Amino acid sequence: MNRKELITSLQKIVKPYVQDQEAFKNLSEETDFINDLKINSANLVDVILDVEDEFDIEIDNESMEKMLSVKAAIDIIEIKLADS
Amino acid sequence: MIGNDIIDLSLAKTESNWKRRGFLEKQFTTNEQKLILAAKNSFVLVWKFWSMKEAAYKVYVQQNELRFFAPKKFNCLLTSEKKGFVHFEDQIFYTSSTVTQNYIFTVASLEKATEAYSKFVLPQTIDIMIKIKLEELTTFSAIEIEQKKSKNGAPFYYYKNILLTRSCSITHHGNYGVFSLLYA
Repeated sequence: MNRKELITSLQKIVKPYVQDQEAFKNLSEETDFINDLKINSANLVDVILDVEDEFDIEIDNESMEKMLSVKAAIDIIEIKLADS
Repeated sequence: MIGNDIIDLSLAKTESNWKRRGFLEKQFTTNEQKLILAAKNSFVLVWKFWSMKEAAYKVYVQQNELRFFAPKKFNCLLTSEKKGFVHFEDQIFYTSSTVTQNYIFTVASLEKATEAYSKFVLPQTIDIMIKIKLEELTTFSAIEIEQKKSKNGAPFYYYKNILLTRSCSITHHGNYGVFSLLYA
């Protein structure tokens, strides 16, 4: 999967948790889950669990710490996919 | 320095499923998980611990220009129904939580006894209600009071160049909005 395809899958994953639809429409690598998409911090763990299920990878605590933006999430998914 | 967090329990019920596989493991320490599973009302304890972690995190980010998502590193301990503390790295945050049928509200502070002022308001009116409160306290006009945010989003209130809040924390969830203040 290339980066663009990863972003598309990630977009599907975050959609149910997004509270700012305008920011969602303009989603890019720079988009921040909490500040831009207004995802409730308690739902951030759902995003992470959904990513694990979708890509069949394990996000360790250290990676989870950084997963606050689309860019960070894609970087982590790429690394984990390469490792698996 | 203070941080606060509100949880609308009816919304938490529909927004998240704490029984989901991995949900507890990712966010709660082994000890917290044990307490949650043994509790009479596990759902309430999940969200009480969560609000303690979130409130403590909000104190931490006011001191440090750092953002991260590491709920498991914030270790919760309850000393009574209401009081407790959160341990993170080498810091202790003292917490006070109010649990009702409808919500859980926590204030975390670096000081054991905090004089924070907290007020429940309609979520859409938080900013203006803070300004009105500051007008009462300072006599500066509310319209001339301005909110500025630090790099990582912590709010501060100013009249011209005068800082009016030593620490300010805003939280909203579902039907509830709350602000907590320490005056400058």
